[in-house]
Amino acid sequence: MTTNPEFERQLLLECPPARLSSATAVLGTVFAFCYFLDDYRFGSISSAAALGLFWLITLLWGARQSLDSIVDEYRDRTWDTQRLSALDPWQMAWGKLLGSTSMVWYCAGFCLLVYTLAAGQSTDLLRFYFYAIAGGLLVQSAALLLGLLAVGRGQTKTGSILLPALIGFAVVAPQLGDLSEIAGLGSAGFRWQPWYGWQFAQQDFHRFSLLCAVFWCMVANYRLLAQALGLRKPPTAWLGFIVFLVVYLGGLIPSGNFALAMAGFGVCGGLTYLSVVAEPQQPMQIKRLLDYYRQHNWRRVIEEFPLSWLSFALAVPFALYLSANRAHIAWFELSLHSYPLAALLLILRDCAIYVYFCYGKNPQRALNLSLLAAVLLYGVLPGLFGALGLSGLSALFFPLWADSASGAVLYAVLQCAAVLRLLYRRWQNAIC
Amino acid sequence: MITVDDLIFEYPGVRALDRASFTIPQGRIAALVGPNGAGKTTLMRCMAALEQPVSGRVEIGGIDVLEQPRACHRIIGYLSDFFGLYQRLTVRQCLHYVARAQGIAAADCAAAIADVSHGLQIKDRLDQYPSALSRGLRQRVAIAQAIIHKPAVVLLDEPASGLDPEARHQLAELFLQLQRQGMTLMVSSHILAELEAYSTDMLVLRQGRIVEHAVINAPALRKPFRLVLAGAYPQLAETLQKLQGVELVRTDQDRMAIVNLENDGDRQHQVLKALLDTGMPVCEFGPATVNLQDAYLQTLHKQP
Repeated sequence: MTTNPEFERQLLLECPPARLSSATAVLGTVFAFCYFLDDYRFGSISSAAALGLFWLITLLWGARQSLDSIVDEYRDRTWDTQRLSALDPWQMAWGKLLGSTSMVWYCAGFCLLVYTLAAGQSTDLLRFYFYAIAGGLLVQSAALLLGLLAVGRGQTKTGSILLPALIGFAVVAPQLGDLSEIAGLGSAGFRWQPWYGWQFAQQDFHRFSLLCAVFWCMVANYRLLAQALGLRKPPTAWLGFIVFLVVYLGGLIPSGNFALAMAGFGVCGGLTYLSVVAEPQQPMQIKRLLDYYRQHNWRRVIEEFPLSWLSFALAVPFALYLSANRAHIAWFELSLHSYPLAALLLILRDCAIYVYFCYGKNPQRALNLSLLAAVLLYGVLPGLFGALGLSGLSALFFPLWADSASGAVLYAVLQCAAVLRLLYRRWQNAIC
Repeated sequence: MITVDDLIFEYPGVRALDRASFTIPQGRIAALVGPNGAGKTTLMRCMAALEQPVSGRVEIGGIDVLEQPRACHRIIGYLSDFFGLYQRLTVRQCLHYVARAQGIAAADCAAAIADVSHGLQIKDRLDQYPSALSRGLRQRVAIAQAIIHKPAVVLLDEPASGLDPEARHQLAELFLQLQRQGMTLMVSSHILAELEAYSTDMLVLRQGRIVEHAVINAPALRKPFRLVLAGAYPQLAETLQKLQGVELVRTDQDRMAIVNLENDGDRQHQVLKALLDTGMPVCEFGPATVNLQDAYLQTLHKQP
């Protein structure tokens, strides 16, 4: 059949003849009903039903399927069998992604066929197919990524993994626009997208961005699977992703000289938060890293280097550059400043708080406790002291309230020192 | 075939493996024994490159497991204490998938499945689902998965737990059959009586340390002999150590000794003659059966 046993296995599980025929019968009945409602033709009702079903099938069902393709292995304790196989990470990544969603794509193909029959002549079908398929692949690939990250942290409840992702998607999706509108855009809807002074057709730019998103999602899946299979690699993919994001977003920021530096600081800072939460935080990992360092085993040091540390280290030069060039902006006419160095130290503090909770007795609650700490440190305490007219104390908890950059840095350093000291003690207790 | 050197593995606050070191030659069946929490499963998982130790070295068939985990996976078979079977696939489909995933060509899969299912006596179960099988049969399917690619080394973690005596006996027969095929096996278990039926080596793991590596049923040219004297002979150990071809295992109160001798009648006769010539009051001299349970308990009692 194929050269990919994982794809074959998934196909065997997902597409038995009975399922194929029952899915065909259900969809056939639904679209036959729409056909009758549309006065014996495929019209607007059929088109809307096909589009709605397509999204439901590819996004909800597809995301669930690709997530389960990895979480089920862990839950059924077959993951070790796969880790001990001769499959390479790439085979496993596409085998799981396309195999687990094979039934999904069969049903989605049915919907696309009806939509094609029902679409008006003004519809750019090729563009529609591109957005529909690439969008579906992106969401499913992201779900697989989420599953890999979840099992790395020992989470195996699909609902608890998928629910926050779906809520996030529900919030973001309306901003992305209606697919049928995108497909219906003719020359009247043509817009330019500026990027580093160049002008690109907005639709081309969107298409390129979507492809890049799918590409990086698959790269992330590949790297996480490689890690699970015991293949150690230096963090070149992560570096590549950071560079890509900095360059990509830098071109979209219309703020002249500091665009790249601001994008760099924002990307590295954001990815520091993301990676510290995504990576498993285990005290032994740091001990092992320090052992490799003492042994001058540099290759291992590079391979084991936490991505959050790398992202943070890369944020430092951007913060220094922005600080040196006084690129701070007052927001909303409040005395809240974007002092880059102080902001960088706050990132360090927040990550240290999260890791501190991870090293505790109940690491599953680390994220919730960190969010609670953030609400206290960023909102409740500064707000309380601010309301009492003690703005100096407000700035102590939220240094960006400070009137001067040096004051902000000083307060942030004090906070970092306190949190890092607590973290160090907890780490020592954990490894001894 | 298997070399583990100074292996250290730590969980937060616990050193699960503490400089574990041993060597198992090819074609042996090593029993890994130890109390609960001694680190048996952790050691097995480190050897299968499923866990990353803090330091140390594991070499299997000349491959550095920690450096080349994927190369190692091709030459080992691993049976975990939970079997890891796909419940939604039939036994045949499970075996076909694992065979393909282990790099066996699609055209050769049927032969590999027939071969392994014949050896494990599960030929008539190939079209059943694992959930419909008894524990003993599920375990056979899991072993079939572990050995379908004919690995040089098979690691089995608690393979006999929950099996009835008949199934355990069949399992012992199976391990001996795999050994005859040239495979090296490492089996962890609590049931020492069952290990005795097939083990050639015993590794005792306690608090993460290998505290004893005893050769039980050496298939090589040497064989354990028991020497009993009519009365105490203070120079017993010293005399035995001086005799050529005699490997002293242990003495007991200068009246009894276990020695390893060449498995050759003439040589054994010469040793006995030499012992009598020294004036030793020999009253019993014959092959000794080393009881695994006794050896294990003795080892544990020796340890502080």
